[in-house]
Amino acid sequence: MATDRPLVLPGETIDPSLIPSHPKHPLRLGPGLRHIPPSDIVPTVAGQLITNPVKNSMWVEYNSQRYIPSVGDIVLAQILRSTTDFYLCTLSQHTAPATLPHLAFESATKKTRPNLAPGQLVYARVTLANKHMDPEVECVSAATGKAEGLGPITGPGCAFDVSLGFARRLLMARSAEDGGVGVLEMLGGEEGGGLAESARTVVVVGRALQETDRAGLGMEGQRRLVKKLVREMR
Amino acid sequence: MTATSAPEAALGVLPRADGSAKYSHAGYTVTASVNGPIEAQRRDEHAYEAHVDVIVRPAAGVGGTRERHLESILQSSLSQIILVKNFPRSLIQIVLQVEDSPENDYVNTKLVQASLNFAIMPALMQTAVLALLSAGVPMRATATATAVTIAQQDGAKRITVDPTPRDIETARSVHVLAFTSHDELLLAESEGDFTVKEWDDVYETAKAICCRSAPAKEGVAMVLDDEDASGPDMRQFLRSAAGAKVAADLHWK
Amino acid sequence: MPREAEPSLNEKQFVTQALQENLRLDGREFDQYRPVELTFGDQHGVADVTLGKTRVLAKASAEVTVPYADRPLDGVFTIATELSPMASPAFEVNRPTETEVLLSRLLEKTVRRSGALDTESLCLVAGQKCWSVRVDVHVLSHDGNLIDASCLAVVAALRHFRKPDTSMEGGVLTVYTPAEREPVPLSWLHSPFCVTWSFFGEEADIALLDATWMEEQVRVGSCTVSLNKHGEICQIAKLGGTPVDAVVLLQCTSVALAKVKEFSELLDKRLAEDLKRRDKGGFMAELRAENDR
Repeated sequence: MATDRPLVLPGETIDPSLIPSHPKHPLRLGPGLRHIPPSDIVPTVAGQLITNPVKNSMWVEYNSQRYIPSVGDIVLAQILRSTTDFYLCTLSQHTAPATLPHLAFESATKKTRPNLAPGQLVYARVTLANKHMDPEVECVSAATGKAEGLGPITGPGCAFDVSLGFARRLLMARSAEDGGVGVLEMLGGEEGGGLAESARTVVVVGRALQETDRAGLGMEGQRRLVKKLVREMR
Repeated sequence: MTATSAPEAALGVLPRADGSAKYSHAGYTVTASVNGPIEAQRRDEHAYEAHVDVIVRPAAGVGGTRERHLESILQSSLSQIILVKNFPRSLIQIVLQVEDSPENDYVNTKLVQASLNFAIMPALMQTAVLALLSAGVPMRATATATAVTIAQQDGAKRITVDPTPRDIETARSVHVLAFTSHDELLLAESEGDFTVKEWDDVYETAKAICCRSAPAKEGVAMVLDDEDASGPDMRQFLRSAAGAKVAADLHWK
Repeated sequence: MPREAEPSLNEKQFVTQALQENLRLDGREFDQYRPVELTFGDQHGVADVTLGKTRVLAKASAEVTVPYADRPLDGVFTIATELSPMASPAFEVNRPTETEVLLSRLLEKTVRRSGALDTESLCLVAGQKCWSVRVDVHVLSHDGNLIDASCLAVVAALRHFRKPDTSMEGGVLTVYTPAEREPVPLSWLHSPFCVTWSFFGEEADIALLDATWMEEQVRVGSCTVSLNKHGEICQIAKLGGTPVDAVVLLQCTSVALAKVKEFSELLDKRLAEDLKRRDKGGFMAELRAENDR
């Protein structure tokens, strides 16, 4: 494990034998690496170096707290205020606001655009993420003109903060045995004992996720946690 | 409490900051938080790079000119190793809270106007670097730092690494040096009376501590001419501290 | 200064609604504190209090100074609370926010004005020399209920603190360094603690102890009761907010007494443990060895 995923620190030299060389595909660099012309590849964060010889790509896997927008990401944005043409919203606390055009909603026109109150949450996709400009988000697919699940979130609900690494883990399609997260399936399945849709369930789910992230629980730990939470909630 | 104790560090100690670290070595304990990139105030905003804000807070008393001086030195050094061009118009905020510093048992200190000791510099620098690593802020290189004093004793010159307050009191000159992981000299601050030759000695001593190429030397006994001058291997320490955090974060892989 | 973070509308609604169903986000009972941890530093007078994700560090220090002209027989005692951006990027150095002002006033009233520290004992030479004792409160992590955590940290730091020993001989005042004479504890009279209630609901009929940051953003009012383990109330502060039924407030005070007794026990226990730890040869033996040389 330690050999195929070596630890790298910012500025360290990467062993040339680790850099994948594929005859056809160009080398693709992922997060945490930078290319210094002509041919140096240097890590910029502390993490595990991961290489994929098939796709001829490499990146550094690491965990952090601060979200940095990237095009195509689906995010929860919080409306700050409205201007003439767009809403200003925050993607993470204390960062510069992102813009959400008034017309970037499904079948929105000047007259039918949704009216959002400050503080409201919207589910949106990042369309512009450029270090020199404020990010831009939308709630409609530009290709189909449909919302595709995006849009304002109405009614009471709770957003639980987790680390970015954990968020990526949740999005992974892999099964729990491969490193995915099992708490959701467990709560939904037998261990959950048929939780009804209520505020109580939301709290249990949120606590299960946050605790799994904080303590870095494995499968067995998650199972124990779910049992404990369900017992407490009875 | 003794100066020869090995450095200790924990990363991610503050749950609500983007990155944090607690570091203790040679009697100093410092906690740091890093938040960033976040929105910069208008007056700090720079069109092409991130503004690095360093705040040093003494354990007791109000900060004064000395703290501002330390902040400005740290700010310019850390801006060199952080890839500030990656986040234009934003702010990377580093708060360094001193928790403990070694006390001189032979002097009663004045406390209302805190005046931080010069020798705290390496601890501040090291904590800041660890907190930046924990926050995942992109960096050009890591850095290691150490403090060295030269004292005149019985006619002979004596070089002490990681001095105690007592050492500093009796020393002729105090030096703080930091090196990047590319063995480049990042920071050199000196106080007191010394010759160029002495500074060269200090440089070599500090470099031996900060830039020991880590695992390659295994098996080869580290021979240093002066017992007192052999300090901890800072680079190896930094690597293991960061490694522990990465391993904990990615245990599920 | 980036603007202060604020929970979303949806979250505010959710928290309020869940509370109506007797439910807190972290699954706690309404009158239950998060796990309290109290540790002391290597030096005397450093106390570190953790309350869930809230963490406060207090450091006590002392120096000899001139007493105030109008109080020649009293020493000087100050509590400094400055919130740094470490707690939240919204706090700025040298620009006090409302949170900071309220925190420092409540600590002032609870610890200083209640006479917890005998300031007369700090006097060395009437009108000329006295001790100035200072406690610095550093908030390392802010997840609500700073007041209770800070108050515990301040009281713990002061009770753990040792000031240099002094002697008066023929009108000459000598202050001994730690190497000459072992420092002495402060003359401490009683240990007050703060217990803060947060009120929710339109009629303010739901009362919570130890609110998290999120709960504090949603609450309609709060009330801080400061008292010691003997049930003597030092101050009660309900600063505006929705009116609260007097009967509810009475109940709150009696629960607060139980909590204060727990704090008091915890502090006594930790102090005893720390004393034991220090007594094991180590530190003092080392000093003595140095003296012999």
